[in-house]
Amino acid sequence: MATTETQILDEVIASSRRRIMTMGGTALAGLLLGSAAKAEAQAQAGFTDNDYLNFALNLEYLEAEYYTLATTGKTLAQAGIGVGPGTTATGGGTVTVKPTGAASCKVPFAMPNVASYASELATEEQKHVTYLRGVLGGATVAEPDIDLFNSFNAAAAAAGIGPAFDPFADDVAFLLGSYIFEDVGVTAYHSLASFVTSASNRSAVPGILAVEAYHAGLVRTVLWGLDRATPAAGIAATATKITDLRTKLDGTNNDDVGLQTVQVGLNTGGANFTASTILNAGTEAIIFSRVPDRVIAIVYGNSNRVGGGFYPSRMNGLIR
Amino acid sequence: MRNVDDLISKALSRRNFLLGAGSAATLTAVGCGGSTFQPQTTPDNPPVTFTDNDYLNFALNLEYLEASYYLMAATGSGLPSADAGSGAGSLTGGAQVTFTSQIQQEYTYELAQNELTHVRYLRNALGSAAVSAPAIDLVNSFNAAAMAAGIGSSFNPFASFDNFLVGAFVFEDVGVTAYAGAAPLLSAKTYYGPLIGIQGSEAYHAGEIRTLILQAGSTYVDYANKISATRASLGGGNETMLSATSVAAADSTNAIGFSRTPNQVLQIVYLSPNGNLPSGGFFPNGMNGNIKVTTA
Repeated sequence: MATTETQILDEVIASSRRRIMTMGGTALAGLLLGSAAKAEAQAQAGFTDNDYLNFALNLEYLEAEYYTLATTGKTLAQAGIGVGPGTTATGGGTVTVKPTGAASCKVPFAMPNVASYASELATEEQKHVTYLRGVLGGATVAEPDIDLFNSFNAAAAAAGIGPAFDPFADDVAFLLGSYIFEDVGVTAYHSLASFVTSASNRSAVPGILAVEAYHAGLVRTVLWGLDRATPAAGIAATATKITDLRTKLDGTNNDDVGLQTVQVGLNTGGANFTASTILNAGTEAIIFSRVPDRVIAIVYGNSNRVGGGFYPSRMNGLIR
Repeated sequence: MRNVDDLISKALSRRNFLLGAGSAATLTAVGCGGSTFQPQTTPDNPPVTFTDNDYLNFALNLEYLEASYYLMAATGSGLPSADAGSGAGSLTGGAQVTFTSQIQQEYTYELAQNELTHVRYLRNALGSAAVSAPAIDLVNSFNAAAMAAGIGSSFNPFASFDNFLVGAFVFEDVGVTAYAGAAPLLSAKTYYGPLIGIQGSEAYHAGEIRTLILQAGSTYVDYANKISATRASLGGGNETMLSATSVAAADSTNAIGFSRTPNQVLQIVYLSPNGNLPSGGFFPNGMNGNIKVTTA
């Protein structure tokens, strides 16, 4: 498994390669200087704080759409959350939902606690959308086209879960849908924290990261508990298939941990203790980091940067 | 559930009162003991004279505390001497928790291993500059916290798994805010990303602990929220009462996680809002390193 340092270097290399293709000689000159720090600085060149915040906003639109549909049967626009360009509330892209309509996306929760969690997740992701739009002001990108139907089916097929997956079907399906997003959000904000430069953004981005990590911890804990209560349902195994798909799509094969048990040593010499993996982190117990390119490969379902998956027409903004 | 709602409502209003009280208020501890909180001054910014290593050592002290707590609960013994460093302080109290299910063990072992790994990461990062583990108290500290919070005259977090969760609750949200506050103070970029990463790890833990306390039931949610109110009074507010619709701890307007200065964190783990305090609470001889005395 990658250490933080090697992971950072991997990211520098991956993003630098892509920047070479788009920036030509300048980026190459930066790389030839040879130091990781210079390469990292070069990798970021050309993107502003607002570009990174708009990238984050694209992710928040996706999360907020998912949770708002799951809890209310409405899209963000139907719920009155701003989705248009700049300070315009309306004018977002097309949201593709189940063929039976947005209202049918309201999850028939059977577990009251899961319904409450869903309500919290919806509220907080909506707040992230509204917060980022407020900071970006006139620079806000509109919500892009978002697909919450074909995307899940394609992901399920790619992950080997089955030919189709309806995350709005019931409590467990909803939690697995959340699982797809939350860990990715955490890793995305981890990289953005180092990219943004203004003092306020360097405070807010880690703060949003923390909330996504609270969410991920919540979702993974509930799923693990449900798996242990009904082992035959294969809930954790399904979550781990999602993890495996994510790390395959982002090209690293080593920056995601599923829901499973691992043997740990604690304060003894041998690894004799069976532990859970609620925390999604590497060998240093530090959460992973994904540069935007890697996040995009996951949410598009491909690394061709032409759109797909949850963003059939790509994201909006310069980082897409 | 009504009792919980009432409690949350009371705690929230108390929290709002505390947040709005400013520097002039004299705060009296809830519950028994009669200890009086002194007037709380506005937390000062840490002096600029601290180095990056000072901040990493500050974080290391917190990790020593967490690792000692979880290792005790998991195994009945604390940090291995190789991880505690030469001349490490003594560990007071703690015992292996009697687990009643496999999943309780899995959670506890994972938390213990994660925090031990953080200790090792920071010690390795600091190299010869790493401070050894300070003296840590897991008995009188929890009793004092319980009294300050109005939970009772004593609290043994090792008495059951559910009690253990409440003990963990004391630390995890604080860890999140401590890293959020410390990372921007680093002058070199080297450890900024890793510290933000550990902040994220602590937030996973905090989300897990808060979820498990909800599962443990209203008695434990009440305990957690009393501790939360106490932390708010000690460490500059920045708490979110736990409920099924507020698992994440974040500001209510933008859902952005909280941050605390090292001084605010010291006041929480020393269990005192006083300034010029070199020790107390979980660190009876104070933290090791240069960040150890609360700001006047």
